[in-house]
Amino acid sequence: MSKKKSRALFIFICISPAILLFTVFMVVPTIEVFRMSLYRWGGLSGSKQFVGFDNFKILWNDTDFIQSFQNSVLLIVLVAIITLFFAVFFAAILTRENIMGNNMFRIVFYIPNILSIVVIAGIFSAVYDPEDGLLNSIFGLLSLDSWEQMWLGNHDIVIYSVAGALVWQAIGYYMVMYMSSMASVPASFYEAASLEGAGKIKQFTAITLPLIWNNIRTTLAFYIISTINLSFLLVKAMTGGGPGGTTEVFLSYMYKQAYGNSTYGYGMAIGVVVFTFSFLLAAIISRITKRDVLEY
Amino acid sequence: MKWKQLMFIGFIVLLTLGLVACSDNSGKGDGGESKASGDGEVTLKLAALESAYGSEMWQNIIDDYEASHENVTIELTIEKNLEEVIRPNMQAGDYPDVLLLATGREEGLTETMIKEDGLENISDVLDMQVPGEDVTVKEKMLDGFADTLATNPYGDGDMYMAPMFYSPSGLFYNSNLMDEKGWDVPETWNEMWKLGDKTSDADVSLFTYPISGYFDTLASSMLFASGGPDFFQKVMTYEEGIWETKEAERVLNTIKELGNYTHPNTVANANPKDFTKNQQLILDNEALFMPNGTWVVGEMEEAPRADSFEWGMTAVPAFEDGQGDRYAFTFFEQMWIPTQAENKEAAKEFIAYMYSDEAANTFLEAGAVQPIKGMTDKLEGQKKKFYSIYDEGVLPAMGTFASTNPVPGANISEALYGNIDNVISGEMSVSKWQKELQKVSDKLRPEMK
Repeated sequence: MSKKKSRALFIFICISPAILLFTVFMVVPTIEVFRMSLYRWGGLSGSKQFVGFDNFKILWNDTDFIQSFQNSVLLIVLVAIITLFFAVFFAAILTRENIMGNNMFRIVFYIPNILSIVVIAGIFSAVYDPEDGLLNSIFGLLSLDSWEQMWLGNHDIVIYSVAGALVWQAIGYYMVMYMSSMASVPASFYEAASLEGAGKIKQFTAITLPLIWNNIRTTLAFYIISTINLSFLLVKAMTGGGPGGTTEVFLSYMYKQAYGNSTYGYGMAIGVVVFTFSFLLAAIISRITKRDVLEY
Repeated sequence: MKWKQLMFIGFIVLLTLGLVACSDNSGKGDGGESKASGDGEVTLKLAALESAYGSEMWQNIIDDYEASHENVTIELTIEKNLEEVIRPNMQAGDYPDVLLLATGREEGLTETMIKEDGLENISDVLDMQVPGEDVTVKEKMLDGFADTLATNPYGDGDMYMAPMFYSPSGLFYNSNLMDEKGWDVPETWNEMWKLGDKTSDADVSLFTYPISGYFDTLASSMLFASGGPDFFQKVMTYEEGIWETKEAERVLNTIKELGNYTHPNTVANANPKDFTKNQQLILDNEALFMPNGTWVVGEMEEAPRADSFEWGMTAVPAFEDGQGDRYAFTFFEQMWIPTQAENKEAAKEFIAYMYSDEAANTFLEAGAVQPIKGMTDKLEGQKKKFYSIYDEGVLPAMGTFASTNPVPGANISEALYGNIDNVISGEMSVSKWQKELQKVSDKLRPEMK
C-alpha cells in the first residue's frame, strides 16, 4: 500500500464512527421529519395517509401558526439586539476598565446561564407576580403606581416579559464570549490610540468592535438557535403559551399540534418550516455581516 | 507506532460492537417481554398515571390481584409524566396491556389513540363477572357512566374506555365566609350577579379560575343547564350552526359576564406555573368562587388560609329563575386496552377486578372513588358532602367532545377553553369567539368517526 493510500485509509477509519453517528442521529432524523411532513398521521398507529403538501397549505392559512411565528421572530430580534448591546457593553467595561470587584461581576453575570430554564421560569414568575412581585413592589415603593402591570396577564406586554427573562439569562454567556476575544486585542493598540487623542468611545468603535467582529458574527447564529430553543422551554414552563396564545412560539405550537392535537404530520410540517427558517435566517445574517477579517 | 494503530483499531471495533450490542438489547426487549408462556403464566403490563392519589394504592392493588390470580404477574409503570415515558416504547411497537390514562391531558396520548383507532373494544367487560363476586361489572357500575362519549368515543354504543375514579366538580368556595357575611349560595345566574355586587362592596372578587382548562367542567355543566342533554350531545358532535343557537350564546355570554367579576390577578396567574396562586385567592378570601374538582382540597392542603376556612362546593347555577336545571359535571379517569396489547383477555379481567369491593376499598383508602353503586355510603366527612351533591336535585353531567380523525390546526378544546383568557380579559368579543368555535366545529364535523 502506498503511503498516500494508507493515509487515506487511516483518515477514513478515524472519521467513520463520527460520520456513522452523524448520519444515524442527525441526517436520517432530519430527512424523516421532511418525509413525515407529507403525511396525515397521528403519530402512533401505522395508518399514515400521504397528503403531499396539504399540511403546508393548511399551515399557510393557520392564523394561530402565523401568530406564533410572529412571536418567535419578535423574540429572536429583541433578544438578539438587546443581549448583544448589553453583553458587548459589559464585556468592554470589564476587560478595559479596572473596576473594583471585577471578578465578582463576571461571576454574577454568568450565573443565570448555569441555571436550568425551569429555575429561571420560577424566578421570573416571582419577579412578575402581580401582587408581591419584585417589579410591582419596586414601582409601588417609588409611588409609580401607573407603571405597575400584569406582566404575565396583559396581552400587550407578556411577550416582552418573556423576552426580558431570555435576555437576563443570555447576557452572561455572550459577555464571556466577547470578553475572551477582547482580551486578546493587544493593549498597545489602545495605548497608541489614546496617545493620538482618541477617547474611550472612539477606541471602542475603531479598535474593539472591528477586532471582535468575527466573534460577533458567530454569536448572531447562536442567538437565533438558542432563542428558538430556549423560548420554547421558557414558554412551556412559565406561561404555557398563554394568555390566549399571546406567548405561543412556533416550537410550542408545533408541540401542541404534534401531540395535543394528534396531528403529528402537521407538527412535522411546522418543524420543516422552523428548520428552513432558522437555516435561511442564519445564512442571510452571516452573509450581510461579512467583512474582511482584520489581522493583528 | 504499529502498536498504537492496533490499539486504535481495536478501540473502534469495541465502540462499534458496543453500539451493536446496545441496539440488540433493546430489540430483544421489544419483542421478548410479556409473552404468555405455555403453562398459562401471564405477565400483564400495567401503565398508570401517578396522580394526587399516589402510587402506593397501585402496589396494594397489584399485591391483592396477584394473590388471587396466581398465574398473573403484573409489571407496573407509574409515572407523573407517563406519556413521555411510554410514547417512545409505543412508537417502537411495545405497548402496555392496560393503561390508566384519562383524556383531556396536555399531551393528548389517549385522544391520539382514539383518533387512530388504537383502542380495544371492551364492551364485553360490562357483562363479565367481577372476580371473586357473583355480580357482573354492569350491575355494579353506577348508571350512566358506561354510555357517554368519554367511554364510548365513537358514539356507537360500544365501550372503549372503562370509567375510573370519579369526582364531582363544581364551584368551590369558603363556606364560612358565606355564613359570616350572610351571603346565600346562588342558585341561578341572576342571583350570582346580585351576589357579585355585594361581594365587590366587601372587596372580594366574585370569581377566579386556576387556568382556562378548568372551564371544561364548568362550560360543560353550563351547556347542559342551558339546553339539556340533547343539546349537549349536539354540541359534542359538532352539529351545524350549534354555536349560533341562543342556548350556546347564553353560555358564552355568561362566561363573558363572569369576566367582569373576575379577580384582576387571575389572567396573569392562569398559567401552569402560577395557577395555585389563583386557588390561593379563595383560601385568602380574596375571591369567592372557582371551578374545580374535589382534588383541590388535597392539592391545597398545606397552603396557608384565612381563619376558620372551610371548603364548600356548589353546582353550577341555573339559567332560569325558579325552574332551571342545575348540573354538576362528573369528572372521571379512564382505563383502556390498546389494540396492540398482547394479553387482552388478562387485561379485561384486570379491568373487571377494578370494580370489585376489594379493589374499590383499596382505592378509597387513597381517596380515589370508583363509580360503583353504594360507594358514596362508605365516604366520610367532607368527601361525603361533596359526593352527595347529586342528592339535592342537582343532575350529573358527563361527556366530552366526539372523536374525529386528526385535523391539522383544528382543536375544539383550544377554541373553546384556550380563548377564555382572551374573553375574560376583554380582548375577544363573544361574536368573534362564537365564529371561531363554529369554524372549528365545521372543520371537525366531516371528520367525525
